[in-house]
Amino acid sequence: MDEELGGLTEDDFVIPPVKYEYLDHTADVQLHAWGNTLKEAFEQCGMAMFAYMTEMPYVQIREVHTIEANADDLMGLLYHFLDELLFLFSVEPFLICKKLVITEFNTQEFRIVCKCYGEEFQIGKHPQGTEVKAITYSAMQIVDEPKDNKYEVFVIIDI
Amino acid sequence: MVVRQYNEELKYLEKINPYCWRIKMGFQPNMNVEGVFYVNSTLEKLMLDELKNSCRPGMTGGFLPGVKQIANVAALPGIVGRSIGLPDVHSGYGFAIGNMAAFDMADPKSIVSPGGVGFDINCGVRLLRTNLHEKDVQPIKEQLAQSLFDHIPVGVGSKGIIPMNARDLEEALEMGMDWSLREGYVWAEDKEHCEEYGRMLNADPSKVSLRAKKRGLPQLGTLGAGNHYAEIQVVDEIFDKYAAGKMGIERIGQVCVMIHSGSRGFGHQVATDALVQMEKAMKRDQIETNDRQLACARINSVEGQDYLKAMAAAANFAWVNRSSMTFLTRQAFAKQFKMAPDDLDMHVIYDVSHNIAKVEEHVVDGKMKTLLVHRKGSTRAFPPHHPLIPVDYQLTGQPVLIGGTMGTCSYVLTGTHQGMTETFGSTCHGAGRALSRAKSRRNIDYKEVLTKLESMGISIRVASPKLVMEEAPESYKNVTDVVNTCHAAGISKKTVKLRPIAVIKG
Repeated sequence: MDEELGGLTEDDFVIPPVKYEYLDHTADVQLHAWGNTLKEAFEQCGMAMFAYMTEMPYVQIREVHTIEANADDLMGLLYHFLDELLFLFSVEPFLICKKLVITEFNTQEFRIVCKCYGEEFQIGKHPQGTEVKAITYSAMQIVDEPKDNKYEVFVIIDI
Repeated sequence: MVVRQYNEELKYLEKINPYCWRIKMGFQPNMNVEGVFYVNSTLEKLMLDELKNSCRPGMTGGFLPGVKQIANVAALPGIVGRSIGLPDVHSGYGFAIGNMAAFDMADPKSIVSPGGVGFDINCGVRLLRTNLHEKDVQPIKEQLAQSLFDHIPVGVGSKGIIPMNARDLEEALEMGMDWSLREGYVWAEDKEHCEEYGRMLNADPSKVSLRAKKRGLPQLGTLGAGNHYAEIQVVDEIFDKYAAGKMGIERIGQVCVMIHSGSRGFGHQVATDALVQMEKAMKRDQIETNDRQLACARINSVEGQDYLKAMAAAANFAWVNRSSMTFLTRQAFAKQFKMAPDDLDMHVIYDVSHNIAKVEEHVVDGKMKTLLVHRKGSTRAFPPHHPLIPVDYQLTGQPVLIGGTMGTCSYVLTGTHQGMTETFGSTCHGAGRALSRAKSRRNIDYKEVLTKLESMGISIRVASPKLVMEEAPESYKNVTDVVNTCHAAGISKKTVKLRPIAVIKG
């Protein structure tokens, strides 16, 4: 599902605004992300995780990879989505992502398809941030309140 | 979770001696046994503050304090004795970090929990000695630190340099340090000074997902990031001359190397996979726990057995990992001193595992029982004459390696008979965090930390600048408090104090 660089359009290089922050936890870190839709909050949460691993200004968009995540419930979906992203970083293609675009966001059958824009992580080019060991369900929260237009997620990552 | 006022909560806690508190039944629902935790007056305050904070109104969706987590573990099926918090205990995922618990293998309801081992399976500490003195190292300290940093791949995204393909990995997972020995990375005597002789025999690579193997392959022989490190240390104080002598530590100023690392992405993935499987097993077998994070399965279930076999493979991975870095460390020293590692007497003093579950024999209520002992952020500390410790340490007790934090000292302890009866032969594992990472980065200045380390005569090589703040000594409990509590409580005995002169970190 990989695309050549030439296949990217100008839109693909537009970097979304930052809608995430890092909250305190004694041993680990809690990602807090939000958006105008739940889909956007999920995308932002994934980008928050990558931004913890390096400094984003050093990352260029040179490759696109597609991941899929499936689960039995919404929290499981967020968990597996992040786990797939971590896997994409940990093995070939060792992708560090600058931008995530979820192309399929199915909250009935709990399925995500996401385009991941970035490049191979290279020591020397990319400053080394913190290593993420695993995603956890610990104190996970998903705020999905369309009537208040409120979409937020909270995830603790084990570092 | 039971919500009570702080002063109500305190009624369930009782200080039984200056170093030990009892957690009474009813503190959390369904407790099968009592809990206990070891603290001195300084650590006690940290522990109770954590509880007090969690009692504040509006603390929903927050984190369970360590003392509550110890009590939740006491409610797991099949637990015997007590759920034990060691002096470095702090809030973790399901189990507290610095929490140990033993489960009766003969009880069909007994469980195994990946949360009781941790994500970094067989994370541990290895200590190498040398025959060098601090004054031999001082003139070339910077070059030596740089050389170690160049030899050992560190930090996020680093890849191992030990040649390895998928087939080698399968063999390494099965054989542990026997693989390292066969491939020429370690010395035969290294194995002798390692828990389980560096190989868990029940490892079964076929129980490990392809995903875990894929994550593990590029990372074998890498240090990792976070609190992992390689340090050049010197002996600062000897408390027990006889025991130190048995370890080959003869004098103040003697140079040692400490390596703190684990099973990298491999172990993390094994744990992640098991947690998913166990959620299903819990529903099927109707296992009730107080906290969703305490995912577990009956020891005798397919999921339980598969996890133990995969965990053993991850433990073997970690030993091969530390062995690979032992090899690289010996190479770095050999190059700088233009002497063979043999001639530098670079022997492994010991290698401990502080995130692991093991089948052990213990006396419970006067009867010998076979138990599955979970140690999460806790180190085995077997007493003198225990059959599972190497012949060199039969008279001293097992060496216990307690890593400090960047810039603070580390300790070697030995196991005691009292520890064997009180804590199933377990003690602390390190300093334990006191400040959150985010708070450290806000409150601690990068340059100040580096200047302070420099003024203490410590060379530092860190891949990630952020980590310098996160891992600053101020972010941790004082390791000396932790170790002194273990010593005073009698669950292990101080032998040697080491101070760092060079730190290599992710």
